[in-house]
Amino acid sequence: MSVLTLRLAGPLQSWGASARFARRTTESVPTKSGVIGMLAAAAGIERGDDDRLWPLAALRFGVRIDQPGTRVRDFQTAHHGVTGKSMPLSERFYLADAVFVAALEGDHPLLAELHAALRAPVYAPFLGRRSCPPSLPVELHLHDHGGLQDALREEPWQASPWYRKQFRGRDEVELTVLREADAHEQNAADTLRDQPLSFAAEHRRHTLRTQVTCSVPIPNPSARHLPRHDPFDALDEESA
Amino acid sequence: MNRIFLDVHALQTVPPSNLNRDDTGAPKTAVYGGVPRARVSSQAWKRATRTYFKDEHLLDASELGVRTKKIVEAVAGRITALDPSLAGETALRIADETVNAAGLKTEVPKRKAAAAKDGEPEPAPQSKYLVFLSARQLDGLARLAVEGAADITAYLKDKENKGRAKQIADTHHSVDIALFGRMVADDADINVDAAVQVAHAISVHRVENESDYYTAVDDENTDAETGAGMIGTVDFNSATLYRYAALGVHQLAANLGQSLRDDKPRTDPVRRAVEAFVHGFVASLPTGKINTFGHHTLPDAVIVKLRTTRPVSFVAAFEDPVRGEAGGYVREASERLAEYIPDIERAYGDDDSTLTWVLRVGPNTQKLAGIGTESENLVELVAAVGQTVAERLEKPA
Repeated sequence: MSVLTLRLAGPLQSWGASARFARRTTESVPTKSGVIGMLAAAAGIERGDDDRLWPLAALRFGVRIDQPGTRVRDFQTAHHGVTGKSMPLSERFYLADAVFVAALEGDHPLLAELHAALRAPVYAPFLGRRSCPPSLPVELHLHDHGGLQDALREEPWQASPWYRKQFRGRDEVELTVLREADAHEQNAADTLRDQPLSFAAEHRRHTLRTQVTCSVPIPNPSARHLPRHDPFDALDEESA
Repeated sequence: MNRIFLDVHALQTVPPSNLNRDDTGAPKTAVYGGVPRARVSSQAWKRATRTYFKDEHLLDASELGVRTKKIVEAVAGRITALDPSLAGETALRIADETVNAAGLKTEVPKRKAAAAKDGEPEPAPQSKYLVFLSARQLDGLARLAVEGAADITAYLKDKENKGRAKQIADTHHSVDIALFGRMVADDADINVDAAVQVAHAISVHRVENESDYYTAVDDENTDAETGAGMIGTVDFNSATLYRYAALGVHQLAANLGQSLRDDKPRTDPVRRAVEAFVHGFVASLPTGKINTFGHHTLPDAVIVKLRTTRPVSFVAAFEDPVRGEAGGYVREASERLAEYIPDIERAYGDDDSTLTWVLRVGPNTQKLAGIGTESENLVELVAAVGQTVAERLEKPA
């Protein structure tokens, strides 16, 4: 098994799992359907081409929260193109300032193909919504060995320097990982409806998948080794 | 696949203004790099761009779309214009059959059909959903209907003619539909995926919204009644914005279809759409509270990149907010970009075929002069980009 890791970072992201109509919410982490959709778009898989989508949807998915971000509410009005009448107001939610590492586990040739597709995509990637382009290239590494959890443990912390600063007293940080359950974990898992079945425009379909929450220790590259009893420690943190 | 991505970057300063407000009336904001920023939503700027196409006559009305359920009436009107002997009921009937042959189902609206029983005239059929059709698609369907007017049913039974009807509806999307897709979703069947990604514009520096307290004088007030006629507040901010949009030219070409006019090059519709987009995106401005603040500005710096790999946003150059200590936000933002762009392109192996154009104003943007071909003005920039895109498209993959 190989694992492809991705960095999902940008000023805004929006990952809807149950969003319909006028209220478009976002989950607090990227959804599997959103990430698979981005990969499918990069590979040039057309909407409705379920045969080519299927192997991608069958990849095992996990995501690590490197920088949780904050929720932003956006309020939108629209007007009818011909009559000029006001359409229903809509609310959209975004995650601002967040950074995630997503990982996909599966066969090496497919992941290698997707890795290459991200570097030269047919349709440009976006973070859940078209108006949210990534601020940095999405692809990180193709890990040849080990599983999902290993890859999410090995990948360095992707948080921004300003965010890491808050943790400089620690050599290691615990990052939350949400990943698809193993066969033996099924009972301990949550279920989410973001396993894509079809992205066909006229009938998008999703089914349930299972997810477990755990955490991984990641070395903190910004760790600063202070003398143990520095009285200015507290002040420093306050002004950070 | 012959991939062409175009990315457009702009630094634009707006004075105190409220271009795009939320439901409380305050300018929209976001958090980036851990500090609050001014934000203008992508939707607001896309609307400004589309409006600009029409208002500034960048594109002819015939290249823009109409969104309506009354497609039968729209086609019938064009049939009568082509051949005045075909009018009224006849025009509606042949229009309806042609529209249906093109794959767009129509029906007489139920409520109106019931009214017809009470002696009202039979209403024209409508499509079930709002359909976005370009003027050229409507014209094409009308021409086809006129051709087969003698016996439209028999004419459309011919496989070849029916195929032509379908082809007309599937090609020649209007430029605004091809660029932005459909803006409000009603019917997924006729979806067009947008070729453009417009990011929310965000300020390169920390911004806190401010509140303007105002009083208004009542002209008819007598001296006996002192005090204001009304009081209130208007929220505003001022910002140097980083604006970014990416255009998949290959996707745009697929959405538009190729020119069928013999007197124009194959790539003409794409070139015109690219030129209109670059021009419209750079020069347009959301008009929110424009009469209150008069925030008419133009970008200080514009960078256009033509790539064969993938579009790249440079927003991360401003994750650490610009402080403006060394002579203002524009100067520092330009310096940041001038350093960041070669850096990220080196790190991620940008292709040799990438071309860069720069349009800049004033000494503050001096640092950007070296990163690409400088254009004298916007018209020159747009023409150069359009020309190169057309040449690239002509080249075999």
